[in-house]
Amino acid sequence: MQNERTVVDGLRLAVRAMVYAVLGGAALTAIATVVSVLGPMLAIDLYTPPVAAWWTVFTAVAVQGVPFLLLGTVVSAAIGAFVPEQVFTRLLPRNQALAVPIAGAAGVVLPGCECASVPVASSLMRRGVAPAAALAFLLSAPAINPVVLVATSIAFPGQPKMVLGRLVASLATAVVMGWLWARFGREEWLRLPKGTRTTHSTAGVQAFVAGLQHDFLHAGGFLVLGAAAAATFNIAVPRSILDIFTGSSWLSLLLLALLAVVLCVCSEADAFVAASLSGFSPAAKLAFMVVGPMVDLKLIALQAGTFGRSFALRFSSTTWLVAVASSTLVGWWLL
Amino acid sequence: MRRYGSAVLLLLTGGAVLRISLFGDLYLRYVQAALRPYLVVSGSLLILLGVAAAVRGMSHRDHQEAQAQEHEEEEEEGHSHSHGPRIAWLLTLPALALLLFPPPALGSYSASREQARLAAQGVGTFPPLPAGKVLDISVAQYSSRAVYDTGHSLKGRTVRMTGFVTHGSNGTWYVTRLVVTCCAADATTSKVEIRGTEADDAPQTDTWVAVTGTWLPKGKLGTDGAWPPLLDATTVTQVKQPADPYEKR
Repeated sequence: MQNERTVVDGLRLAVRAMVYAVLGGAALTAIATVVSVLGPMLAIDLYTPPVAAWWTVFTAVAVQGVPFLLLGTVVSAAIGAFVPEQVFTRLLPRNQALAVPIAGAAGVVLPGCECASVPVASSLMRRGVAPAAALAFLLSAPAINPVVLVATSIAFPGQPKMVLGRLVASLATAVVMGWLWARFGREEWLRLPKGTRTTHSTAGVQAFVAGLQHDFLHAGGFLVLGAAAAATFNIAVPRSILDIFTGSSWLSLLLLALLAVVLCVCSEADAFVAASLSGFSPAAKLAFMVVGPMVDLKLIALQAGTFGRSFALRFSSTTWLVAVASSTLVGWWLL
Repeated sequence: MRRYGSAVLLLLTGGAVLRISLFGDLYLRYVQAALRPYLVVSGSLLILLGVAAAVRGMSHRDHQEAQAQEHEEEEEEGHSHSHGPRIAWLLTLPALALLLFPPPALGSYSASREQARLAAQGVGTFPPLPAGKVLDISVAQYSSRAVYDTGHSLKGRTVRMTGFVTHGSNGTWYVTRLVVTCCAADATTSKVEIRGTEADDAPQTDTWVAVTGTWLPKGKLGTDGAWPPLLDATTVTQVKQPADPYEKR
């Protein structure tokens, strides 16, 4: 009796799947035909070189973000589904002032660009890690992991001080931001990701898959938003603007720190872009590399989606100031 | 559509990623070559997740039909899983673009926006070039040797470069190539001015050419005067756009 039922259920499922596939396939073919006939007529008028370049940069930022975002969501979903509640609270010292630098230094272990660190930080918070420590990790992970440091040393051959400066300035910024949050941060600014999602009966693998699907789609939408912003600035801001400011070292530092925000170059590549910005002081290039992995449009969009808009704006603007200050100090001391 | 929203999105995104990475070389227009295995893995994982979401959507509906009223609460929760967040629909933009009209590789427009200039690393010697009659060399490599090499390693060598054509003022033209480190957003330009009798009838902008010739020294090494480097061309042939339109660093 039971067996018969499951067979019938299975059959019904298979038939339904086939019907959906046929209907969906027919609908898709119809859409594709209409689009491919009408599309080119419209496209020829609208597809000017700047528009084409916009689409290329837009898809490039999105495509390059997908693997890293997926890595981040896999790690975060795994933390959510498989790591018991108590582990992190036991690993980290209870004293926040101590937990922040430890979490910041732990950023070394996540070899990815900044897209990966946002979902991981949010799942750490859901698992009871103090927000201050999770935020220090969020900032330091994309800036000081080995892949990024090696890329920096390749981009600046014979200048190990640049690598050291990047490590020190980034870590300092992350730790200072963690401490600032521990001291001045307010819970109500931070819209913590829904913690209820994994509490219902499904656990283990099912919770992992559900968390993965939800987190990837959610963060992916914001990645696309950030990619659109990055592509717009990439096409709209003429590079010649850089030449105007190379004269003043102060202005040039601020300018490169702003450029890092709007260009959204991923942290594994930004050293090469910084190295190619000839005519700027080493401190300005350092500021470009310290700000880039911590504050950029793509990241602000991702943070706004995960932690709420009011958090993202406050946090990003403060991080920008701290990052500029710390790279100025480190640049003056080391470079 | 509500129930299968996340399945559709995951399948579209995964399909788009696989289309450019597994079924062809299109990914090279957007990202660097080393990212391919990661793209293939991510694409496959997304397809799997999409199938899982579709199956759950279907079985969930069966479940509902069988026990319509008792499980309304669970159904609520189920929905929060299966019709993902609304912002996720933005993913359809790049996914459909990649599936239907993959955007072209960056070309002369991007090259013209950016002043081609190499990192000012100072002059110095370079490792020796490999032997051979005609040396295939990247535009970036040629430029940095021409502008910064105190050992003059290009002297007396016949070199061949591939790139697209861009035009300067007064009828000068360049073989240009974009250098991409991570993705197309970080593209930087290198270019070489083509001289000689072969260069008289310049090809159209964005035509891909292979140029063979010899180095023409110009300006003082490491200064703006040495920029852009010159090539005395002996042959200029039109070629197809290479699979990887960018140069690696």
